[in-house]
Amino acid sequence: MNGKDGILKGIPFAVKDNMEVIGTKTTCASKILENYVSPYTATAVQKVLDNGATLVAKTNMDEFAMGASTEYSAFFTTKNPLDLERVPGGSSGGSAAAVASGMVPFALGSDTGGSIRQPASFCGLVGYKPTYGLVSRYGLVAFASSLDQIGPITQNVRDAALIGEILFGMDPKDSTTVEKHLSLLKDIENPIKNFKFAVPKEFVKDLNSDVKRIFEGVIDRFKKMDVKVEEVSIPSLKYSVAVYYIIAPAEASSNLARYDGIRYGLSVDGKSIDEVYMRTKDEGFGREVKRRIMIGTFTLSATYYDAYFDKAQRTRAKIVNEMNKVFDSYDAIIGPTTPNVAFKIGQLSSPLEYYLQDIYTIPANLAGLPAISLPMGKIGGMPVGLQIMCKRFEDDKMLRIARNYEKVSQG
Amino acid sequence: MKSVIGLEIHAQLLTETKAFCACKIDVNAKPNTNICPVCTGQPGALPVLNEKVVEFAIKSGLALNCEIHQRSSFDRKNYFYPDLPKGYQITQYFHPIATEGYINLDSGKKVRIRRIHIEEDAGKMIHSTENITESKESLIDFNRCGVPLIEIVTEPDMEEPLEAKEFMEKLRDILRTIDVCSGNMEEGALRCDANVSVIDDNGRSSSRVEVKNINSFRYVQYALEYEIDRISKSLKEGKDVKHETRGWDFVTRTTVSLRSKEEENDYRYFPEPDLPILEVSKDLIEQVKKTLPELPDQKAERYVKTFGISDYNAKIISKDRDLANYFESTISAGVDPKDGANWIVNDLLSLFNADSAEFDPGKVSVDALKILIDYTNSSKISRLSAKEVMSEVYKSGRNPADIIKERNLIQVSDEESLIPIIKKVIEGNPAVVDQYRKGKTSVVGFFVGNVMKETKGKADPKAVGELVKKVLDGKV
Repeated sequence: MNGKDGILKGIPFAVKDNMEVIGTKTTCASKILENYVSPYTATAVQKVLDNGATLVAKTNMDEFAMGASTEYSAFFTTKNPLDLERVPGGSSGGSAAAVASGMVPFALGSDTGGSIRQPASFCGLVGYKPTYGLVSRYGLVAFASSLDQIGPITQNVRDAALIGEILFGMDPKDSTTVEKHLSLLKDIENPIKNFKFAVPKEFVKDLNSDVKRIFEGVIDRFKKMDVKVEEVSIPSLKYSVAVYYIIAPAEASSNLARYDGIRYGLSVDGKSIDEVYMRTKDEGFGREVKRRIMIGTFTLSATYYDAYFDKAQRTRAKIVNEMNKVFDSYDAIIGPTTPNVAFKIGQLSSPLEYYLQDIYTIPANLAGLPAISLPMGKIGGMPVGLQIMCKRFEDDKMLRIARNYEKVSQG
Repeated sequence: MKSVIGLEIHAQLLTETKAFCACKIDVNAKPNTNICPVCTGQPGALPVLNEKVVEFAIKSGLALNCEIHQRSSFDRKNYFYPDLPKGYQITQYFHPIATEGYINLDSGKKVRIRRIHIEEDAGKMIHSTENITESKESLIDFNRCGVPLIEIVTEPDMEEPLEAKEFMEKLRDILRTIDVCSGNMEEGALRCDANVSVIDDNGRSSSRVEVKNINSFRYVQYALEYEIDRISKSLKEGKDVKHETRGWDFVTRTTVSLRSKEEENDYRYFPEPDLPILEVSKDLIEQVKKTLPELPDQKAERYVKTFGISDYNAKIISKDRDLANYFESTISAGVDPKDGANWIVNDLLSLFNADSAEFDPGKVSVDALKILIDYTNSSKISRLSAKEVMSEVYKSGRNPADIIKERNLIQVSDEESLIPIIKKVIEGNPAVVDQYRKGKTSVVGFFVGNVMKETKGKADPKAVGELVKKVLDGKV
């Protein structure tokens, strides 16, 4: 796609294959959409194109963004450019690998529980998930609508700010978007002296010693910038993975209902309409997607709604409250992005191990907060990310903190 | 035996565009021409609420005496069917926009409305055989997908099928008066599902049965009569009445089982994450309130009070806003209200009824009606001729004065023309004159009849009768 005139003129970029771009296949790395051609373009992608960038590729991902390694793509396993035996993370693993290998300077990803930040952490990049509502989801194939957000994966913080700002804006086609007129670049170089950061105990208590050592180094650097760093407790955080794995599959079970073999996508013939549905979905969806559809269907069923979905919604509200309270006294919450560096392809086997990959990234999605991951160090040559979260719509402050850290860490 | 009836009604709203996208609503459009990524459930498409839908729902709520909620929200009702592209319907399950309303029946009985909520319609399917299970081929038209609906749910306050029918008619009249729904049941713009159970004389209640596919006002009554009869018989015979959903078959005029309650879908309702809470300001509610027209019952009351027309006529005329406006125009044109009401209800409406057509003010203009009433009142034409002319105007739309002229219907009533004819008839029947002289005054009719024959029916019989007496009595 040819770019127009604009600030990104001539710059190539890639888009995760769950964003509609008219005339291109949008497969979501699923057999069910293997030959689906987009009839329209996602608002976020259009904004980047309108600024002159040239779309060169759609990138691999975990099927329907459900995964943390890109191993769950129905088509390929994407490898980590820093170590080809390792995963690039996921679900936006293809976007991260494309940037890390230098194919493109930036790529768009989507983040439902960490799918931008975790691959950025694994590939030594900057991954930015904006505040929920800042970027239109129109044209982003829905996984969990109340959690999904599009954002950039870049090589540095300034690029993340530049692309982020381009993505922002109220979209008449997405009722959950708001107009905030945030300028991410304007004050990004300003110092952060006298800022106060919170480190949730829940984020550091089970850290492995390597990650812990690196993170302690981060704290030292911040302290040298006259930032106060204090440990806090956010007790409800311990429920965030459980809450997420009820809410996200519930929404997904409904969002993925439309792939029924009737209007588009894979359609497997059957003797009755029910057989068409069952065979289409059976052949079209992979194991992890099926697992989540089943979990979601179960937790939304009349008998279990109160015990699971409703309780999860209430717990989510509690997590939001507790996190917001922290922001009354602190400028940011910081911690590692992931519990470890990129694992080897095929290393994790149980779903639960994969689910725990998202333990630090999920809270930002549940609370709709802006969150960013940027490199904080390496273990055995593999990078690990620092995560910064701020109050809703304080994306500008968050990027400024990230930029300040980036400067000293590179300095 | 006593029956308990509650209704669930779906009304298609007359907005120009769909509930959650900008596609036009046009029942005459070719299949699958008014569609877009949103209403065909393309990946990544999102719903955006049409503000007109909210306004129409508020208007309906107010007209049905409901409380309008300033905060309501949308939910997803999940089920699989080919006419439902997203695999879920957007509806308001947990927090509807309006609750606790009512409609008063003519008996004075209040039928309470539990809730009104906004939702979207599904597509339309055409099967090669009767239903989808046996059909080799089925076609889907997504034009109707996303057309806004309001669902109105009553409390089980009705006891007679006729009450249910009256409720539906009153509801239709109200929705049409406020311009939110065409009210046409045959076309599916207004749909009714009825819930019914029967309590026997020992106070034992049957299971509740839901009857679907009732597609006319008469069938509301017939379907319920059939179903109550069926349940009552089972109760009497000591048989079990299944808690089930049945469908009305208008061909056989029976209900047939569609599915038992165990086979019902679990709709897995949950809050729609793509739409924010629907907040409605007090101002908006007040604004909508101001646009509410006079409702049928209020109108009927005013007609009786102001114009002195009968209760019966007032109710019929006020049901239909076009008819009511027509009636008021005839009064403005100088027609006596009672005359106008009688002519409209007895003569004009019977023409439409004979055609099973809706009233259309363009068929017989106010001017035409006024001419007919004036001519009749001044005896220029007979009541019978007036009826004949009105029927011709209804058919052809021609000017009634022209038709009267062409058919030579003006009655002869002036003495100068009539007396010579009367004298001729009297002179030709001396025996009958004798009878009159002996006191048999009823023979006047004989002479009138003969005069009418002589004038080929154009004489005004009233005038002739008076003149015959005068001539016989030697007063002329």
